[in-house]
Amino acid sequence: MKKHSLFYEFKKGLVAENPVLVMLLGLCSTLAVSNKAINSVAMALAVFFVLFFSSLIIGIIKNLIPDQVRIPSFILVIATFVTLADLFMKAKFPAISKALGPYIPLIVVNCIILGRQEAFVSKNSLIASLMDAIGMSLGYFWVIVLLGIVREVLGFGTIFGYKVLGSWFKPWLVMVLPPGSFITLGIFVGVLNWLRAKGGKA
Amino acid sequence: MKLGIKMILVLTSIALVSGLLLSYTYQSTKADIERNKEIEKERAIKVVIPGTERFEEKVINVKNYLLVAYDKDDNLIGYAMLTEGTGFQGPIKLMVGFDTTLSKITGMEVLENVETPGLGNRIVEDWFKKQFKGRLTPIGYVKGKKPENPHNIQAISGATISSRSVVKIVNDAWKLAKKEIKK
Amino acid sequence: MIQKAIIIFLAAALTNNFVLTYFLGLCPFVGVSERSSSAIGMGFASTFVMTMTAVIAWIMDWLVLRPLHLEFLQTAVFILVIASLVQFVEMFIKKTSKELYKALGIYLPLITTNCIVFGLALIGSMKNYNLLENIMLGFGAGMGFTLALVLIAGIREELEFRNVPEPLKGAGITLIVVGLMALAFMGFSGMVTL
Repeated sequence: MKKHSLFYEFKKGLVAENPVLVMLLGLCSTLAVSNKAINSVAMALAVFFVLFFSSLIIGIIKNLIPDQVRIPSFILVIATFVTLADLFMKAKFPAISKALGPYIPLIVVNCIILGRQEAFVSKNSLIASLMDAIGMSLGYFWVIVLLGIVREVLGFGTIFGYKVLGSWFKPWLVMVLPPGSFITLGIFVGVLNWLRAKGGKA
Repeated sequence: MKLGIKMILVLTSIALVSGLLLSYTYQSTKADIERNKEIEKERAIKVVIPGTERFEEKVINVKNYLLVAYDKDDNLIGYAMLTEGTGFQGPIKLMVGFDTTLSKITGMEVLENVETPGLGNRIVEDWFKKQFKGRLTPIGYVKGKKPENPHNIQAISGATISSRSVVKIVNDAWKLAKKEIKK
Repeated sequence: MIQKAIIIFLAAALTNNFVLTYFLGLCPFVGVSERSSSAIGMGFASTFVMTMTAVIAWIMDWLVLRPLHLEFLQTAVFILVIASLVQFVEMFIKKTSKELYKALGIYLPLITTNCIVFGLALIGSMKNYNLLENIMLGFGAGMGFTLALVLIAGIREELEFRNVPEPLKGAGITLIVVGLMALAFMGFSGMVTL
């Protein structure tokens, strides 16, 4: 296998191998909680926490785990960190914890996390895995927050709760509803592909 | 065979460590989570029965609590129900305030809901909640126009089901409260 | 009671379709949904696992976790239950029916990490359903998933012959189509009320 620099492992998650727009992982949390920008930020932080610490622990103990029980062991580690994040949010940020509802526990099955453990952490060094985790989280972060901002502006006329569009603006209800979420993300995927194709030719 | 033992050993130890870590965190966050609930309850009762200085709590069942509200001179000023029922998407948790005779609603606050954002979720909007103030019990709802009857509220357009659920939860809570106070 | 069970089934399959309103189970949408035949296989395998999950998750939730006040272990317990259930079902089918294994076998490992199964266990627990209601929820959600998966696969097969703008080919247009379908499914809301 070709060795890449640590910076490359970090950078690739941002655009080239973006977990949401290119690999299409973790769509359910991305689509569900992004109706307001603030929810997106909270979700991205929770995902970062779980991804980073799961990669850390699994990176350390991976050689002790027999292949046959690899997936159950990974899932157990991930579930532990998800529950920690859930309890922490309930204790310190009850309002956000309520808004995210059942989507925090769903991080367990967020394919980004298990997918990275399977595809990357189990085959690479600990440091490279951590760089990968940070890069992937940032890639997830900018997509979900941008999606949250677009949907909040068009659906409520606000950004992070502050009014940015005047009273002439009639909110597009569909943007906060599930259909708006699907369509906006579809357009994002298209725009990124278009930009990458253009960049490739130039 | 050796592999089998190793597999069991590894999984058990991961499960053990994870269980211990979670129990520890649960114990240490429990106080905070409980306190958040208390703060929320106190805030809500002051909204639905203005002037509440202290309250006594009676458990009716797992989902329903009767709160007896007193003002600063320790006069009984009303009853509030902390109650939960089913909405369009899932449970809705409400605090409803009644006057001392239970004939009038003094206020309503939505504590938890998972209704559709932008539609059913509008039950948390002020204009909707404020409508309940002063309604005579039992309440009902009308669609698309201002209500004339003092028992009725106006349902949210496009979210009749969620509005109807709130009305039903309020009426159920009122019946429970009446039964409890008669005792 | 029977009536309520039927309503729960219809609500889970149509009005609150898990894919189109809760965004659950999207990974196979983009991966598997390119051929109608494999979509049906995936759909039925998932429905089977989801109905079984509804039973076992309910038992764990109400007979073990809640009486012992261990609700905070819910996430870990549910995901382990699902992982072992899928493994068990795979072994069972392999032993009993070669044909069924050929048809469903390749989809089973994918189901463990499908958020729709886990989401079902969580949503069922949140709604405080009884066992029968929970089974109807699981079965209904599975059928709703199958319906949406098959519809999307059909549309994607058609789209291959259409002139879709290059950057939107594949995932982009699929998401937009799913969005339009979600819009259409909103028409069902109000038809069934709990």
